[in-house]
Amino acid sequence: MSTDEETTPDADSDGAYDPIAALATPYAQSAVAVIRASGARVIELVAPLFSRPEKLRDARRYTIVHGRFHGRDGRTIDEVLVNVFRAPNSYTGEDSVEINSHGSLPVIERILETLYSSGFRPAEPGEFTLRAFLSGKLDLTRAEAVNEIIRARSDRARSLAMNRLGGSIERAIDSVKGRLVDILARVEIQLDYPEEDTGEVVIPPEVIDETIVRLESLVATYRIGRVYQEGVRVAIAGRTNAGKSSLFNLFVREDRSIVSDVPGTTRDYIEATTIIDGVPVRLFDTAGLRVSEDTIETEGVRRSESILGTAGLVVYVVDGIEGVVADDKRRIEQISDRVPCIVAWNKIDLVDARVCPSGFIGISAETGDNVEALRASIAARITPELGVVDGRPVIDSVRQKDLIERALVALRETKVGVDGGVPVDAVAIDLQEAIRALGEITGEVTTDDILDAMFSGFCVGK
Amino acid sequence: MEFDAIVIGGGHAGIEAALVNARLGFRTLMITQNLDCIGKLSCNPAVGGLAKGNMVREIDALGGEMGRLIDATMIQFRVLNRSRGPAVQAPRAQADKPAYQTAAKKTLERQPNLDLFQDTVVDFILDGSGRRICGVVTERGRRFSASVVVLTTGTFLNGKIFVGEYSTSAGRIGEPAAHGLDRPLRELGFTMGRMKTGTPARVSRRSLDFDKLETQFGDDEIVPFSFSHTGVDRPKLPCFITYTNTATHDILRENMSRSPLFSGTIVGAGARYCPSIEDKVMKFPDRDRHHVFIEPEGLDTEEMYLNGLSSSMPEDVQEAFIRTIPGLENAVIVRPGYAVEYDFMDPMQLTPALESKIVEGLFVAGQTNGSSGYEEAAAQGLMAGINAARKLQKAPPVVLTRAEAYIGVLIDDLVTLGTKEPYRMFTSRAEHRLSLRHDSSDMRLCRTGFEIGLHSQERWGKFLEKQSSIDEMKELLRNRHLNETDCAHTPESLSRHVGKSFYQALKSPETTLADLVALEPEGLGGRPVEWIRQVELDVKYEGYVARQDRQVDRFRRMENMRIPEGFEYDRIDGISSEAREKFKKIQPISIGQASRISGVRNSDLALLMVVLGRRPARAV
Repeated sequence: MSTDEETTPDADSDGAYDPIAALATPYAQSAVAVIRASGARVIELVAPLFSRPEKLRDARRYTIVHGRFHGRDGRTIDEVLVNVFRAPNSYTGEDSVEINSHGSLPVIERILETLYSSGFRPAEPGEFTLRAFLSGKLDLTRAEAVNEIIRARSDRARSLAMNRLGGSIERAIDSVKGRLVDILARVEIQLDYPEEDTGEVVIPPEVIDETIVRLESLVATYRIGRVYQEGVRVAIAGRTNAGKSSLFNLFVREDRSIVSDVPGTTRDYIEATTIIDGVPVRLFDTAGLRVSEDTIETEGVRRSESILGTAGLVVYVVDGIEGVVADDKRRIEQISDRVPCIVAWNKIDLVDARVCPSGFIGISAETGDNVEALRASIAARITPELGVVDGRPVIDSVRQKDLIERALVALRETKVGVDGGVPVDAVAIDLQEAIRALGEITGEVTTDDILDAMFSGFCVGK
Repeated sequence: MEFDAIVIGGGHAGIEAALVNARLGFRTLMITQNLDCIGKLSCNPAVGGLAKGNMVREIDALGGEMGRLIDATMIQFRVLNRSRGPAVQAPRAQADKPAYQTAAKKTLERQPNLDLFQDTVVDFILDGSGRRICGVVTERGRRFSASVVVLTTGTFLNGKIFVGEYSTSAGRIGEPAAHGLDRPLRELGFTMGRMKTGTPARVSRRSLDFDKLETQFGDDEIVPFSFSHTGVDRPKLPCFITYTNTATHDILRENMSRSPLFSGTIVGAGARYCPSIEDKVMKFPDRDRHHVFIEPEGLDTEEMYLNGLSSSMPEDVQEAFIRTIPGLENAVIVRPGYAVEYDFMDPMQLTPALESKIVEGLFVAGQTNGSSGYEEAAAQGLMAGINAARKLQKAPPVVLTRAEAYIGVLIDDLVTLGTKEPYRMFTSRAEHRLSLRHDSSDMRLCRTGFEIGLHSQERWGKFLEKQSSIDEMKELLRNRHLNETDCAHTPESLSRHVGKSFYQALKSPETTLADLVALEPEGLGGRPVEWIRQVELDVKYEGYVARQDRQVDRFRRMENMRIPEGFEYDRIDGISSEAREKFKKIQPISIGQASRISGVRNSDLALLMVVLGRRPARAV
């Protein structure tokens, strides 16, 4: 019984519920996002993720603290404002924090992921309001209104998810869940009918292993799922006046493109979302890559470099009149070391342009000549990675990922228990937990479901 | 005649309900159709088993009678699942049926404040409002008044039995059904339904060929069901095992058209987990054999019970298929198997105190609520009896939670979810299974029993002694650390725990408390083996129980949020119409209960809590 020797203190010892976190603003690109966290030890849990932990810990009443939110690896995710609320003076009546970050989806996701791997679980729809009510914080009208909004949002989110995925995740999870229910039913029937010849109680380790592998591969699709949700990051790079902005504009002239200035970064890059060959693409026009004396521009260039570092693909634009200069050569090599890179030979429409060497794609960003070839080349680079997705379900939300990971943890515990000879009634706890976690994605598994599985598959009863 | 409480029916539910009321000092009357049939074990000659055995011990810990009755009349005892983890181990005893009945009747007869009367109740007497009970009317026209009535009709209300093409009005074979009461029940607006159960043939012992049967003995060590018993000294009889074969199944298949189950004559819902042999053969055609347990019905009877062969086939078919089974080639049937169909009342019309929401003062328990099994019936009878008495005392009802007893699970399931088939308890129904071990029933419930007033000071004193002894042991285990000297003469597996507390060492699967008792005989030894076992399991399972509790923690909080009686769900805008209808029907007493109703969404619950508009009690 050594697997759980350290019993964590009961979360409600100080009257607070277990720590939860969720995005309080809509899940969309926006200027500012608010992530709310509430529950027992909430400040203690958030402090280590913040550049000024003591400021949070020392806050005795409502306080706003400015600082950097970082991941568990210590790397900064975003500059944020953290509002600290001390019980009972908070929305929920518990100790709470609200993290105000920039409203970019990757930032939101990374902050949430960090919280979820640091002791928080995702709040269920309406849970903050529930707590607010429980602690007597909400009056009737206010609570009703909040609840309506939450309900509308969760319903919409659900239908969106259903439409986008055509139920394929549900099917994949249901099939895994179905297998686990079968195992549990088998175990339960053997436990409840010890005298019948139902065979020995076995939780087949190979099936658990297989299930773990299947769930792990589902979790792995999270990255791909995010690509579909957030878009592949494609950066356009090149020296000043090579024609980057023209190319950018050419791409985003499409109907489905949305151009937005990234808040607070007017000089560094422009971002747009477009669709190339069915795949959402987030296109970045970076500042000219050249050493500059201008400090503001230098800062812009530094940020552009960081964009290049996180891009999935770089389109490097060479000025076809000047050809590949030493600076281009160095840059292309640098970039190619890290990410796939396509080199476009721009300005082919001009008489001065040199002949496009092989391996380059000659285009004219001005006239659109041969841009289709570039587009095809981009598509060819970004879809192979996604090609594996075809016909296979992908997960695309932190919540799904979190729940599958919760199931994985429980299944690994199951495995430990089975291997360690832990009695099966105790191991069943972990198996149930795995089923429950998956059930939160696709619908709850009730005792009746287990009983149905028990009695449809086994002949028992005297 | 005037009474405080009337119990209708003398089965396992009725016995508990009647005793509780009489023991709490209320003038109590039990009316039953036949005094000679009190406490009859209508079906299998056994009490206990998985989850059921736990309930028997819970009944005992609360002050009920079933544990003492079976301790006094068992003829074999076994702990099931002994090798499979303590939460799913359960005691089961073969009962001497006639002895059990005699013991039950004797207990009732000698109980002060309790009168027994043979008659059939056919109507209720209600007060002017028509919604409050004041008494009952019998078939022979007798009128008895009481302000609480516990209804336990078993399989008798409009009971009908089937043996092949033969069918007759009966609650058990040879015993007339009860008619009359269904009419006022329906008129009052109770939703009634039909359920079905069945029993196998009994055969004469001397017609069996024991050479062809496997013998199954019970355990040597007997753990009494009752916590007030220190030991059980009873004669022991073995059971026997044999199997059906393809010849058996062929006969059943050839004659399926003559089975009332398959010809459509029986309309009642049968339980999937208590199938007839016809069911088994039809549903599992690939199985070429099924288990048959041959169990003695008692010390002074030659009747043997064919467990696993429940059937409502015509008698000639029963004889033919039974005689294809090894050891039963010459079996002589003394009573045929039969199916019985009866009226039950939708238990969702009851409060968690098992009181009717339609007629105040009317409590309902046992098979009348759609359950199955002696233990399920007794458990409900006890709680219905307790709450009827509490009503007389003007005290709040006692409602056990799902976390503290199987009985809590049983009643919560019945009144919240209802049931479509005879409800049987399974360990898998209890999300708190790890905490509901049979050996810990007294720790969970003895205090409740004492507070209700069902335990003597003596028994309470003994319990407190056990409790403090167990606490002492745990304290010592926490404070005593394993040192080098200890390991010189202990099993090797212990030496890797040097430096750790005994408590931590005990959590390792290979450590037993006996190892540690050997090291600390003064502090830990000299106690009953049951207590030592309890400490061992408490410690070993602590981590898993904590995990289990965390998983179900959210539900527990919601249990403490009460919904006022008569809450008007129409007042709430925005809840789904499905939830509204279900809330109105079931009238959940807490948000926790509301959350378990099928089709209710989180948003419905949130809204409900919001509209309740008051700050609920904090979880303890």
